[in-house]
Amino acid sequence: MEKIIVCIKGVPKPGTVKVDPETHTLKRESMELILNPNDRPALEMAIRLKEKYGAEITVISMGPSNIIPLLKQAYALGIDQMILLSDRAFAGADTLATSYVLARAIEKLSPFSIVLMGLKSIDGETAQVPSETAGLLGLPSLINIKELKKEDDKWIAIRENEYGEEEIEVESSLLASVSPQAFDYLRPPSLKRLIEVKEKEPLIWTASDIQAEPEKLGLKGSPTQVVDVFEKKLEMKGTILEGEPQELVEKFIEVLKEKEIIKI
Amino acid sequence: MIEKIKLEDLKKENILAFGEIYQGKLHPSSLEILTPLKEIAEKLDKSLILVCLADSLESIHDLESLKKSLADEVWFIFHSKLRDFKDDLYARVFIEIIKSTNPYGVFFPATLIGVSIAPRIAGVLNLGLCAHVNALEIENNQIIMARPTYGENIIAKLTSKTIPVMATISIGAFSPKTSEKTPVFKEVIFPENFSWESALKVRSFRSSKKKPSRLSTAKVVVAGGRGLKNKENFQKLFELAEILKAEVGATRPVCYEGWVEEERMIGVSGVTVKPKVYIGFGISGALQHTAGMENSEFIIAINTDKEAPLVKMAHLSLIGDAKKILDLLLKKLKR
Repeated sequence: MEKIIVCIKGVPKPGTVKVDPETHTLKRESMELILNPNDRPALEMAIRLKEKYGAEITVISMGPSNIIPLLKQAYALGIDQMILLSDRAFAGADTLATSYVLARAIEKLSPFSIVLMGLKSIDGETAQVPSETAGLLGLPSLINIKELKKEDDKWIAIRENEYGEEEIEVESSLLASVSPQAFDYLRPPSLKRLIEVKEKEPLIWTASDIQAEPEKLGLKGSPTQVVDVFEKKLEMKGTILEGEPQELVEKFIEVLKEKEIIKI
Repeated sequence: MIEKIKLEDLKKENILAFGEIYQGKLHPSSLEILTPLKEIAEKLDKSLILVCLADSLESIHDLESLKKSLADEVWFIFHSKLRDFKDDLYARVFIEIIKSTNPYGVFFPATLIGVSIAPRIAGVLNLGLCAHVNALEIENNQIIMARPTYGENIIAKLTSKTIPVMATISIGAFSPKTSEKTPVFKEVIFPENFSWESALKVRSFRSSKKKPSRLSTAKVVVAGGRGLKNKENFQKLFELAEILKAEVGATRPVCYEGWVEEERMIGVSGVTVKPKVYIGFGISGALQHTAGMENSEFIIAINTDKEAPLVKMAHLSLIGDAKKILDLLLKKLKR
């Protein structure tokens, strides 16, 4: 049977982000976490592959225990196994140190046929982790795929880029990130599974469980570093008009004429 | 004629930039990123090299723009197997060049292709990689990169402990410049034993049906944010854009809400615009967005909040409900 691995991420719910004014780091404890919306299409793709080819889906996520409800959400959608990668040593990881932990966990789960991720998280937005993890694993990678199917022993993917769509054949196992626009329909959680998951807990893997080298973890294992932060001070520089919408729009139109955007 | 040079004889310790060539076409962002990199290279007293992977010299349509580019040298790697973009092979070619020439910095435009191979290289070589930077400078002989941070109006300055320093650079963040001095073109000869095989095979390509958005080069941009309240209101911007011959842009939250497709996102992880006139409806002006439009010539903000950052940046601000003002404006203009 095929084994599919999906990596998901907890991201702060937009609007609940609080920043420590001293250190300028995100206050992760006070944030409300949601499943990264861009990971939903990756889960959907995995479940569709499972329905079509019969597969077992393992979802992994790195973070503290407040990620567990998100793993359970994924379970309710139709995945089989939940693994939380959790260790104090993982904290402060940049994309390389994050990819390293994911790569170690994926390796421990081998053999597998497909690893899926979202194109990017809505907080960091780097889109780097999929290819970086693939680089560490020496696995072929594709980013922003819209479709994935099997033909004999090969995987056939449709990848979308700035120029159009490519149909790509891959002979081996593969790591891919899924386009946020891959599906028109994302299934809701199943009621049965929602009840079932109440009794279930994810496996928890620490640094030693994945045999990670300590110097490659977390802040210490992160080559990129924030050296300084600064605020952009804005000074009022233009004209501010208040009043009735009618008057404002008249003035607006005058300015558009001045700027020769509309001719009358 | 291009000089042929063996991989091992190439100049060492340069600043490398990825010249993205897809089906013979050079992506304009590859020329954009040379603008800040040229300054960096000069300050560090290093050469700036544009590295282009392609099928053959004949297959490249934009040799003229390469000849006028800011690069000191353009290195071409030609092979029939490089005709299609294959993540693993392209990354391996780059890794060979990095291993053999010990560059000080390696930079990519933050296109989908750039974001496909830069992290692969970083993963294989265990290097730091900064994403979507929109400013670069030198401090104490070190490359410092900047990008707005998430969730607040603060810019983070980043460094990378590993050499080469690697980053992807935001699309449109810099304007391409030309140089009088023609770069030296070199064709790099790879060792006999280098394998050009890939686990990927591109079977077919279908050119995108939708017209690419002309947002980054638009003279007039009408953009909308959450203050427009819903998708229906946002869609009215397209009517306005038609009347004003403008392009529609959006903030990140409304793209994620699904009011409009993501390629219309203006900002750090989207497109950078520099129109003559930028009009923002119901946009408060998070740094994530303003980093992508702050160089507009004339900025008009429509917002209920007088204290909103975009209102402070704007040359003209109308304080009021964005939807009401948009409706009224459309009504008048249609008349």
